[in-house]
Parts: sequence; structure tokens; C-alpha cells
Amino acid sequence: MFNTNRQKIMDRTDILNQEWKTRRIQPVHIMTSVGSLRGTREVIPLKTLNAVASVPVMYSWSPLQQNFMVEDETVLHNIPYMGDEILDQDGTFIEELIKNYDGKVHGDRECGFINDEIFVELVSALSQYSDNEDDEEEEEHDFKVEKMELCTSDHHSVISALISLSVCLSVCLSVRYKELTEQQLPGALPPECTPNIDGPNARSVQREQSLHSFHTLFCRRCFKYDCFLHPFHATPNTYKRKNLENQVDTKPCGLDCYMYLVQVSQRSFIHSFIKYHSSVNCCSPSSVSVFTIFTSIKQMGGKNSSFVRGNSRCQTPVKMKLTGEAEAVEWSGAEASLFRVLIGTYYDNFCAIARLIGTKTCRQVYEFRVKESSIIARAPAEDEDTPPRKKKRKHRLWATHCRKIQLKKDGSSNHVYNYQPCDHPRQPCDSSCPCVTAQNFCEKFCQCSSECQNRFPGCRCKAQCNTKQCPCYLAVRECDPDLCLTCGAADHWDSKNVSCKNCSIQRGAKKHLLLAPSDVAGWGIFIKEPVQKNEFISEYCGEIISQDEADRRGKVYDKYMCSFLFNLNNDFVVDATRKGNKIRFANHSVNPNCYAKVMMVNGDHRIGIFAKRAIQTGEELFFDYR
Amino acid sequence: MSGASCKANGAVYPASSAMMNSVKKPKMEQIQADHELFLQAFEKPTQIYRFLRTRNLIAPVFLHRTLTFMSHRNGRTNAKSLSSHLQLTFTGFFHKDEKPSQNSENEQNSVSLEVLLVKVCHKKRKDVSCPIKQVPTGKKQVPLNPDSNQTKPGSHPSLLVSSNEFEPSNSHMVKSYSLLFRVSRTGRRDTNDVTDTPSRKKRSSSHRDEGETTETFVAQMTVFDKNRRLQLLDGEYEVSMQGMEDSPVSKKRATWETILDGKRLPPFETFSQGPTLQFMLRWTGDASGKSTAPVAKPLATRNSESSSPMETRTSNHRAALMKSVSTDIQTRKEQVLCEPRQKLRIFYQFLYNNNTRQQTEARDDLHCPWCTLNCSKLYSLLKHLKLSHSRFIFNYVPHPKGARIDVSINECYDGSYVGNPQDIHSQPGFAFSRNGPVKRTAVTHILVCRPKRTKPSLSEFLESEDGELEQQRTYVSGHNRLYFHSDSCMPLRPQEMEEDSEDERDPEWLREKTATQLDEFTDVNEGEKEVMKLWNLHVMKYGFIADNQMNQAIMLFAENTGAHIIRRNLCRNFLLHLVSMHDFNLVSTATIDRAMARLRQIQEELPDIEEEQQDQTQHIAPCFHAECIAFKI
Repeated sequence: MFNTNRQKIMDRTDILNQEWKTRRIQPVHIMTSVGSLRGTREVIPLKTLNAVASVPVMYSWSPLQQNFMVEDETVLHNIPYMGDEILDQDGTFIEELIKNYDGKVHGDRECGFINDEIFVELVSALSQYSDNEDDEEEEEHDFKVEKMELCTSDHHSVISALISLSVCLSVCLSVRYKELTEQQLPGALPPECTPNIDGPNARSVQREQSLHSFHTLFCRRCFKYDCFLHPFHATPNTYKRKNLENQVDTKPCGLDCYMYLVQVSQRSFIHSFIKYHSSVNCCSPSSVSVFTIFTSIKQMGGKNSSFVRGNSRCQTPVKMKLTGEAEAVEWSGAEASLFRVLIGTYYDNFCAIARLIGTKTCRQVYEFRVKESSIIARAPAEDEDTPPRKKKRKHRLWATHCRKIQLKKDGSSNHVYNYQPCDHPRQPCDSSCPCVTAQNFCEKFCQCSSECQNRFPGCRCKAQCNTKQCPCYLAVRECDPDLCLTCGAADHWDSKNVSCKNCSIQRGAKKHLLLAPSDVAGWGIFIKEPVQKNEFISEYCGEIISQDEADRRGKVYDKYMCSFLFNLNNDFVVDATRKGNKIRFANHSVNPNCYAKVMMVNGDHRIGIFAKRAIQTGEELFFDYR
Repeated sequence: MSGASCKANGAVYPASSAMMNSVKKPKMEQIQADHELFLQAFEKPTQIYRFLRTRNLIAPVFLHRTLTFMSHRNGRTNAKSLSSHLQLTFTGFFHKDEKPSQNSENEQNSVSLEVLLVKVCHKKRKDVSCPIKQVPTGKKQVPLNPDSNQTKPGSHPSLLVSSNEFEPSNSHMVKSYSLLFRVSRTGRRDTNDVTDTPSRKKRSSSHRDEGETTETFVAQMTVFDKNRRLQLLDGEYEVSMQGMEDSPVSKKRATWETILDGKRLPPFETFSQGPTLQFMLRWTGDASGKSTAPVAKPLATRNSESSSPMETRTSNHRAALMKSVSTDIQTRKEQVLCEPRQKLRIFYQFLYNNNTRQQTEARDDLHCPWCTLNCSKLYSLLKHLKLSHSRFIFNYVPHPKGARIDVSINECYDGSYVGNPQDIHSQPGFAFSRNGPVKRTAVTHILVCRPKRTKPSLSEFLESEDGELEQQRTYVSGHNRLYFHSDSCMPLRPQEMEEDSEDERDPEWLREKTATQLDEFTDVNEGEKEVMKLWNLHVMKYGFIADNQMNQAIMLFAENTGAHIIRRNLCRNFLLHLVSMHDFNLVSTATIDRAMARLRQIQEELPDIEEEQQDQTQHIAPCFHAECIAFKI
């Protein structure tokens, strides 16, 4: 069957080829006969592979949709290869490059020959072949000897020195090895680390100790732990609560609620007070710092036998009674730690605390509370590190205010500085505030009062925020979803059609871009859907590097004649060479169809690429690099 | 270059004259070289277009008539055919064998003409021969031997035959249509000279009566032949008539060969001798009188090769020539049917280096000079030039005698593919397979698209001042190139066009990076790390940007990772995370409560978790005991 079909196809092809020959069309070959090694003729199908056009060169890069901050490179990681001819002709360039890094090149033998990791690995690898410790260490020595030999010329002196050295070296090394291996035992942690609260080794620790990692690693701007963008995270100790929400349940949580206990004990007039001091200086230094504590006193057991929470700051000592029959309940370390954490949040809402701990009743919690009372933080009062401004400002005043600020900015210079949240307790944002000196607005991440004069008020637009009527647009800021509550920047998180057109970068509402060889040079980027004038196309993402680092990298890029550097502000540069997104392939043009705009987006400067005119489907994107 | 030319001069001319010519001669040479360059520049694209033209004739990629601006090439419009007429205007009946001088005073100056439409139908089973229907269309008095100079053009008698007559009739399927002309002439002469008349006429004339004789001449012309091809196009006709003996339709088809005295007469001879009927034939669309043929006609039937521009307007057809004409079908030229019958001259002015190169050529037809396609209309021609020959730039300049088209080389022509991009996607480099069936990738095509079209106007071809360059670049817009994946540089297949795969918010490497970065901390315990990683991935996945999203984010976190957190025994770390978020003033205590409640709920819904955690609960069990005791009190 197959052969007959084959024959049929062959015949047909022959007919076609005959016909095409008369019409001067290239004939088609299906089979070709080749002489095999054995001398017999074999027929194998011939598959014609079409010529594939080569694509432009592309150096590998990692995709990214948000900027990524990297530290300065203090050593030259690699000597860039730019072809043999450049290497030969332009040796001075490499020299200069190395000079930029103070002569430090990655992998130099002088520094860090063996680090701890390699050392441990080496010893454990060698230990497979040796029976006892001594052999192992001898091997170590040999290794060292070889290294020393490289350095010195006089063999005799070296050997004699080594013999004396070897003894003390062996001791040193074995000690070091033990140190390192012990560290690696499972469960063993450095002393400064709090044990896992869910683990078997959970210890009873203070609140700030339990929360230390969470507090220090959390980035309040990215909502992530150890984020990629902000190297310095503010700990929450100076963050204040806008609304005190530690409401205490007024209803007992169950039959055995501690509230009944309190009531009963009140009725029976069995009072046993624990007196504790309310002033700040009384608190032990260790317990301070979770909140800026000012006095707040709970008066327990009021006349109407319910809890009256007072912020009255009365200086009278508070009496806290012990329950009659304090039971000997065992509190595990984890539970105790958790209790201390929760009491700092829920204060005297023991029912809630018990619910969250899960393994203790509120009564037990209450009893524990009484026991621990001396070290427990109390609910903070209104704090006042910045004098509150008058409320109920008219919007128009705000608008003129921020316009004034904007004008002031425009008047001075084009220098834009990076924003860093200010933190100066009990000091208003005046000329000493870093935000003010950098001519930035205070953002919601600043530690200053929400009533701070330097804060940007946000807009109250009901339109699309794409004209200078919008104070945000005027100030080259995107609308802040926590400040601009009327324009729609804070709505419709899921859908793409937001009424506010001034929040595209933060929402990542980029257009679909397509990569293809450019009509101009190298690769180019093409738009899939047509866009209107001034519409957002994409954010120019990349690594955020310092200006110094950019200078160093720029020297190499200039040599390659290919640079993805983009000035972000006076402090930082975006480099899309190693990490970036597709818009990095947009080429330069003096008559471009896109423009770039550096905008302040929720405290970060980010680069938006926008359409300069209406762009049609499949057009290549260009912007002016200058 | 100038040095080289000087050297050449020196070789050709003696030294003395070289001095004199040195100024003039290089200039000439330069002009020549320049001209050579000009020719070279135009040569290559012209050759390419010639080749493409041939290829398109052999294996057409598309049909020109399907293009919107070539719609007039598509003659198959039913609406038109319904309302069209066949108009016959009779100039006169010529019978030269008379002696005009003799009895001129009482000579009749008109004959009566009857026109019948003969329908030859298909034979049915019962029929012996093909049934024939004759439909009378009208009778007219036609002037006899009129003087062509004297007659006024409007005074000629004319007949209209509705094209409805040519529609298939109800009972019989009509095979062919023909017109039968019957001229009856009442003569009163007894003398007749049989020598000059053709043999058939002789026979017919012998039939005449004594005094008042009626001579009848007949002729038949096929309108549509068996294949429903139109045989009679617009034009002036002269039909040679034959004397009739008894039945005009004794023969089905009239033959145009005339036998005179036993030997064949050359076709033209009949016209000088025999009686002829002259008439003009026009197919009219409707009352307005536009000439349109009702049924699809061959692409090109006319041959106006020899005719001068003056003659092409109304080509003089002689019926005897019809056969030779029809065999001489050429695609070269076709009569401009739709353009008003006014001569249109088109001058192609070739520009090079921004100055005119006297290569101006005047043409009277609307054929594309590169692919000889008849565009019929000036607009269509310009549109065709612009779209099909984009290696050139065409600019239309109105001209008193017609149109001028400035042709220059398109410097912006990049040779990029301007066809359907799906074709490259489907099979790169294999767009038109001749090797039998080829498996294609499934592609959705738009079958019907009615875009808003601007009214055709010649002004779109005028040279534009602003943004000229851009206009030329993006004349064809859309995805006319092959796209690539940005990560792998592999070609993007059409089904991958829609998804923006490389643009995810949390690329794989970044997810890994955040995990390893947290792992590097030595003073963070493993429980904390795990919750932090989970949370980071959660935030990266959803891209939260606002403080006021956090409550929602926490609940979503509990929902999505709750089971994992329980399974990995991270509940307290989860709670610590929530409290920390609360310390940062991002979530309310109500959210903490709700998230933990949800976690409990998930825990209860996971039955296998109980067993796994039994060893955990065992050391908590004594506490429960204590609780119970406490409750009793």
C-alpha cells in the first residue's frame, strides 16, 4: 500500500515537474538516490530545509517588570570580551577599566583564596579518604605548603618555617573546622536568632524579639520581605496608628470568660492589687521600643462592673487584682511569646488573645497577664511628634498649595533627587527634613505626621487625571491609591479599565509588545494594538544603580556601542542591560513616536514610555534617548 | 571619478583638443554617466515587476478583480444586466449594384427592416430538431443608400432589445441567440442584372413579380453563442445581406463566406458588391446610456493594435472580420469601456535625483506599464501602481490633456514582507507550496470584513508636503513581519500572538531569587523564612500596590496558602506576620481575627492534618486537661 502510494506520488510529481519545466518553475525533488557504502543504490527521501534568515545578536538578559536595585560592584567581575582585534589594539582600555575598580578583578588569587565554605567542603571531601583527623589535617597542610611555595623563593627557610608553623596551623584549622561544622548542625542557630515559634525549641521571648525578623525585613513600600528595591527598611516602632482600634469586647466570650471572674471577685471585695507604675521611666528598657509609649492607663473594674478604657492619662497608680485561685497552668515558650506579641496589639482584649493563641482560655490569659503585668506595654496614646495642623482644609487651598510647591520646584532646577522616607521624631518637616531639602514631597511612608505640611495631598479629581488640572499630573506623579480616592486610582483592582489614566505604571497596564528585527538596527520592538496619543505603553525597567556605578558600566557599554542606561534621577540610573523588559529594544530616533517620562510613583521614580502620537498596529517604537 | 574621465578623454582626443574640451566634455560624460545611473536605478525594479507579472499570469496569487478599486473589472453584476438594453441604430441599407442615375426621381429612399430575435433552444427528447423561437422586436424604415455626409446623426432609426430577452426563457433552455435582419424592398424595375449579384441573390431575384416586386434580404448575427459568450460588442457594424428565397432560417447559422460564381470571394468583396446593412450597436446599462455588456465577456476581445488613438474611440467592426478578431485574443489591450469616451493621455515622468529625466511617455490607455494590467480607470491605475509597485513612488499631477504621473525610486522601500503575516508564521519560507498538501497551523481568518472606506479620490495620490516620508513607510500597516520570543529568540507562532508570555509579573528567576535571598539570612529562623517566602510570592503574584489592598491581600493569602501553612505547621509564624503587618499599620485587628478564623476553618476541612499533627497535640493535651479542671471551678 505504501509503495503504491509512493509510486503514485512520484508519478504525479514527475508530471508536475514536466509541466513546470516548460513554465520555468523550479522543480520539486521528493526522492533522490544515493550510492550507499555497500555499493547498492538506496533511495532515501530528501527533505529540503528552507533557508532560515539569521536574527540579530542578542545578549542574554533577565525579564523584569519592576526595577531591581543592585549594589555597586567593587570588583571587576569579568574583563569584557569584544573581539580579538579590540583586545589587541586597545589594551589601554582594559587597563583603564581595571583602574576604575582600583585594580580589583574577580577571582584574584591574592584575596579570599579559601573561604569558609570551600574549607568545610574540602575537609569533608578529604575525610572520606582518611581514617583519622590527623591525616586530614596533614592534607590540609600540604595544601597550604603549596600555596606558600608560590610566595617564597628560599626553600630551606620555608620548610623550616613550615614545620614550626604546621603545629600551630593544625590547631587553628581544627578549631575553625569544628566551629564551622557545629554551626551547620540542624536546629542549631546563631545565638542572636530567635528560635522558630512553631518549632519544638520555641523559647519564651519578648515581643520585639519574636517580631524582630518580621519588623526589620518587611518593606513597607513594597509590602515584601527583603525587597529588591529599597535597601533600607524602616522598622515600625515609630509608625503610629491612625485610629486606635483596640476595642475591648464588652460581652463575655463564653461561660467561662474571665469577665465573670472579675465580676465575682469584685463583688466579693477580695482585692489584691498589683501596683504598677505608669510613667515611662518605670518601664524596663527592654520593653520599650515596640511603640512609642506614652502613658495610657487602664482602669479595671469600674463602678458599673464593666471595663472602662481610658486614655485619660491619669497619673494615679492602677490597681490590678489577682484572681482568687490562680491555677498553675503550664505555659509553653511559644505560647508565652505569642501572648506577649498579642498583648501589644490587643491590649486587654483577653478573649481575642485567647482565641488567637488557641490553646488557652481567656481566663488563663488573664491570669497570665496579671502575672506578667510589669513588663507589658500599654495602649499608646495619641502621640505628637509633629504638631498637628488644622484640619478641614479646603481642597482649593490644597491645590494652590501644591501648585505653589510645583512652581517652586520648576523654578529652581531640573535636579530630581531620590526619595527616602524621612524619620525625625518630634520634629516637624522643616528645612532640616531630608524630603524638604531634596525638594520631594513627604509620602505616606514618611514617619512624620499625616498632617505634615510637606505631604502631597493627592488629587480629588473626578475626571481621568490626564490634564494639568490634576495636581498629581501637574507634579509629574502618578495618583496614589491611598491619597487619591475619588479619581478611581483606588478602585477596580482586577480590571484594566480604570477611570484614572494616571496610574498606569503602578498597575503595570503595559501594552502588548512584540519583538522582531528592527527596520533600523538590531532588534526592534513593535506594538501589537494601536494606541492613542499620550497613552501609556510600558515602563522602562532595569537594574537601579548609582551614578558612579553607571559611569563605570557606561565605559564598557560605550565600547560595545550598545547602552541600556537611562537616567532616573540625580542619584540613580536604570540599567536594562542585565535585567529589563521588552521596551529595552526600542531604538533611538530623532523623530520618535514615543517619549519617556520619569514619574514619581508611590515614592519611587519610575520611567514611563508614552505614545507621542497615535501609533498604529505593528509600528516599531522609538524614543529619543537624549 | 573625474580623474578617470579625464584620462579617457586624453585617450580619445588629441592633447590640443583635450584642453578645449576639458570643460565641456566631462560635463557631457557626466551627464551620460548620470543617465546610465538613472537607467540602472529604474532597470532593476522594472525587471522585477516584469518577472512578477509573468509569474502572476501563470500562477496568480490573487485576482485583480477582487480588489475594491478594481471592482469594474468584475463584470458579473446581475443588477446591471437586468436593466440593460441592446440598442441598434441603423445608418442605412446600401445596395450598390443599382444604377443610381437612372430613375432617381421616383426612387424609393427607404426600405423596411424587420429585426427578429432568434432563440435556438436545446433539443428536448421529443424534438426532432432544435426548437427555434423567433421573437419580433420591431420594424423600422431604414434609409436606402444614404449619403453619409448629409444625414444628421440623431435622425437614424433605432431599435431597443431588452436584455431580458436574453435571459433563460421559461420552457426551453436557450442554446444561442441571434439577430435576424430582414429587409424588404419594393422595387418596380423589371430590369435586373444578375451578373453582379451573388448567386443566391440571383435566385431570389428570379422570384420577383412583374411590376411591384418585393425583394427580401436577410442576414443573421449571433449575439450569444452556445457557450453564452457575447459575440456582438459595441461598435459599428456592416452586415452583408443575402437575398432570401423562401425561408430565412433554412440554415441555422449564416456563413460569412460568399461564393460568387462558383469561386470563393474574398470576404471584403461582398461589402463592395452585395447589399449591406450598416448599423451601430450599443449595450446600454440603463437610461443614462452607459455601455455595459450584460454577461461576462472575455477579458479582452478587441484589438486596437493598429488603430490610431483617434480610431480607438469607436472601432469600426466589420462583421466579416469577427472571426479573425475573436481568434486574435490578446490580453494586451482592451477598450476603455467605463471611462467617458474622451481621450485620456497619461504622461509618465521619471524622476531621478530630484530632477526630471526627460523620459516622458504619453499613452492613451490605462494599462499599467509594468504589468500591462488594464486598470480601466485613472484612479484604479494609480491605486494599482501605488500598491503593487511600491519600489517606485508615484505622484499624480493633473494635466490639461489628462494626467501626469511622476515616477521616482522609493528610497524607503525595504523589501519587507507586506503580505499576510500569518503566511510566514504558518510555514516560514514556504508560502506557496507546490509540493502537494502541506500541514498548516490553524489560523483564524476574517472572512468578511467591511472596513470604512474613504471615497476614492485622485487627491490621495497628489504629492503631500508634510510627513511624506512617513506616509510612504507605513502605507501598509499591520503585523507584516515575523515576531520572536524575547527570551528564546524563537519565531512566534500565530497562536502565540495573543499571550504576552514573557511579561509575567513574577518571572521564575525572580521567585527563586527572593527565596534564596531570604535563605541567606543567618539570624532568621526557618519558620519565619518560610512564611516570608510564601508572602513574598503572594505579593509578587498579585502585584499589590496600595495600603488599602492589604486587608484583602491577607484574606487572599489565608485562602490560597492556608492549607500549606497548616501542613507545614506555620500557624504561629503566620500570626506573627499578621501582627507585624498590623504594627506597620497596614491591616486592622479585625482582619487578623478573620484571617485566623479562616485558617482554623481550613484546618478543620483538612482531615489528614489531624493525624499528622497528633504528636503535636499530645504535648498540648495536658493543658486541655488543666483547662477542664479550671472550667469546673
